[in-house]
Amino acid sequence: MNEREVWSRAGAAGGGEEGEPGAAAVRRVSLATALRDYGIYFALVVLVIYFSLAVPQFRTTDNALLILLQVSTIGIIAIGMTFTILTAGIDLSVGSLLAVAGMFSGVFAQKDPTTLNVFLALALPIFIGLLGGMINGLVIAGAGVNPLIVTLGTLTAFRGFIVWYRVNPIYDLQPYYRIIGQGSIGPVPIPVIILLLMTVAAYIILNYTRYGRYVYVVGGNPEAARAAGINVPLMIFSVYVISGFCVGLSALIFTSRLMAAQAISGQDFNLQAIAAAVVGGASLFGGRGKITNTIVGALIMGVLFNGLVMLNVPAPIQQMIIGVIIIAAVWLDGILRQRRH
Amino acid sequence: MSSGAAPPDGIVVRMRQITKIFPGTVAVNRVDLDIRAGEIHGVVGENGAGKSTLMRVLAGLYPDYTGDIEIGGQVVRLTNPRQARELGVALVHQELSLVPELTVADNIFLGREPYARIPGLISRSAAEAQARGLLRDIGIHLNPAAKVDRLSVAERQLVEIAKGVSLNPRVLILDEPTSSLTYQEIRELFRVIRGLAAKGTAIVYISHKLDEVFAVADRVTVLRDGHRVATAPIMEWTEAGLIQAMVGRDLSTLFPRSEVEVRDVRLEVRHLGRRGAFRHISFQVRGGEVVGLYGLIGSGRSEVAEAIYGLTPADEGEILVDGMSVLIRTPRDAISHGIAMTPEDRRLRGLVSMLSLRTNLSLRALRLLSRLGFVDQSRERAEVDRMIHALGIRTVSQTTEVANLSGGTQQKVVIGRWLMVPPKVLILDEPTRGIDVGAKAEVHAIIDGLAGDGLAVLLISSELPEILGMSDRILVMKNGTLGDEFSRREATEERIMAVAAGLTVAGKA
Repeated sequence: MNEREVWSRAGAAGGGEEGEPGAAAVRRVSLATALRDYGIYFALVVLVIYFSLAVPQFRTTDNALLILLQVSTIGIIAIGMTFTILTAGIDLSVGSLLAVAGMFSGVFAQKDPTTLNVFLALALPIFIGLLGGMINGLVIAGAGVNPLIVTLGTLTAFRGFIVWYRVNPIYDLQPYYRIIGQGSIGPVPIPVIILLLMTVAAYIILNYTRYGRYVYVVGGNPEAARAAGINVPLMIFSVYVISGFCVGLSALIFTSRLMAAQAISGQDFNLQAIAAAVVGGASLFGGRGKITNTIVGALIMGVLFNGLVMLNVPAPIQQMIIGVIIIAAVWLDGILRQRRH
Repeated sequence: MSSGAAPPDGIVVRMRQITKIFPGTVAVNRVDLDIRAGEIHGVVGENGAGKSTLMRVLAGLYPDYTGDIEIGGQVVRLTNPRQARELGVALVHQELSLVPELTVADNIFLGREPYARIPGLISRSAAEAQARGLLRDIGIHLNPAAKVDRLSVAERQLVEIAKGVSLNPRVLILDEPTSSLTYQEIRELFRVIRGLAAKGTAIVYISHKLDEVFAVADRVTVLRDGHRVATAPIMEWTEAGLIQAMVGRDLSTLFPRSEVEVRDVRLEVRHLGRRGAFRHISFQVRGGEVVGLYGLIGSGRSEVAEAIYGLTPADEGEILVDGMSVLIRTPRDAISHGIAMTPEDRRLRGLVSMLSLRTNLSLRALRLLSRLGFVDQSRERAEVDRMIHALGIRTVSQTTEVANLSGGTQQKVVIGRWLMVPPKVLILDEPTRGIDVGAKAEVHAIIDGLAGDGLAVLLISSELPEILGMSDRILVMKNGTLGDEFSRREATEERIMAVAAGLTVAGKA
């Protein structure tokens, strides 16, 4: 369990596991903290209630599952993004890398379903994601170039590469390939299950493992991390590999769901994933952020998008609303944080 | 904004019943204070005693104070810094607030640039000419056209003071002005402020360092827990009396060094050197021993420690731990050989301030507290709890963010991190910098206890009383070399300073 979660959980319960004094001042602090940490859940609930009342077809199970399905691609990328942001980094290249990984997946998904082709169609995107992440990580951690610049560069370079490699989309993918993006177990779409598993895995890594602890420490104060004997470059490298892995997985789901591989896929996925993380309260300065909040951030974006479509809000207006909401969320988070100190 | 004639009684600022409340604490509680023209008024107290807060009220930074303030015989209600400046109160900040990319002159006149003849443009030459005159008047030898990022910390401090003086204030407030200055630079600073006082400016000198207060102040006010304890001319104070007034208790055991049986050599360095920093450094530290490493800033003492710990590795010489030669290129290497080090700047290199006390304390021990990469959280809690009790760390809970802890508590966290897995050698770089007197004594007691447990301790400090009080042996560095070594018995402040400052007097008896 993350320390801030322990703190707020203790606060929310009105008593502490470590025997906090019951002073009113302490309780007030805990309340503010609870509001800060759970404000985003509150926002999601308010949105859901609002759309449920405003649009009858919003409050159906099918629509709920649809939202989850739509969120899953970005959600998985946002998980990787959260790792990079926690180390005070960023990965702008995710959308381009998704196009590269998806295209190579599609190339083999189009071919006869021999064992090798099926294996490549499923494994290659993951491998390419890892490779792209390693390229980012090597330059950032090894050469010490600013992650914003490096991933801005690979954002362009990856996109250029895949458009050069194959500008025409691949549509005629083999039917088996459909299962990952469009299949479901019971009523639950497989992408949603993958998102859930990834969330649980990331949650466990960040909150229960030494590696996760080091991610926060490296992001919070890299100098102190180095002085404490942590291999900082290796840690930095690793988060970009994790981000790449998430992108590869997401590319597989995305290509399968669309049953199409396109060089232009994922154009603004980087911005959506970053938005999910920061709406979830992750600090771009590193050391602060939670995986659960990132997922809730992604859900808020998904619910907004879905609800606004149902309200027949024109797409440009939707974009404006979502833009304003991103800024407002981060502004509010800052206010709540300040109030505590 | 000119220093009008001082009132007949010489009192330029009269503060009565000043109270300032922050959420949860009364930072300043009904304090009366008079400041006279031409005096250097020392304001001392532990961290959190309210000295900076009181002066920030006077500088107009806290409009929500209660109480009465008279400046130059005129009753005023201070609501903003600009108003205070115009009334003749200049505050030189604790943290440097210069723009490094600009020149000395630009910084001095920042926001008040002299205009050129062409409307809308500012005149750099006029600013430089004015700055040159100002610097000459107050006896600071700096080129007004120099860029601030080329200046040393001490020179920047002088620019800050010049900036304050350029307002031609009645009262110049200096908040901990010497925290990063060397001995000579401090003397230079004292010369400058004595000159200003002689011209009639009242100087308020806020400091932790009592020797400085004794060296420079005419009168001293002691604050404790937001209250004023006493104000008296410096002649009437003794150091012990001042400390007692600050902490409200007798600290005769300020440096409680106990006799310890010295054991085998744990750390030895032979002919250690790094180009441009230090050379030919050889010494030993035995188990149970505290060896003090003293030197002025720039003497290379911190660099030696950083080399032993692998932060910036040495390029020649040898490091031995328990008689075995070891190669140390990174902190990881040092840690694996049982060397621990607390950094000079705990916020920069020690703490992860937005994370919890628990995370910060257990960081070093995490490897031992986890199995297959998973942290054993209940064991972690128990071990952290043990350390909290062992070091007397005051905190609400293990999950408190370290940013919310006091300086002394933070320092204990940094030390405690290294004790979670007992090291062989502990290097402490300025372990009591910026922490209050009470916490200092506690840190000293901890160091004493660690040596008692057989640890080899290398203590770096720029405070001579601390070095003298804590060390069994004292190494003095000068210009990157080891100047001399003194035993506890033969060391005196004068002898050490003579070696460190490169004077020809004294030396060993």
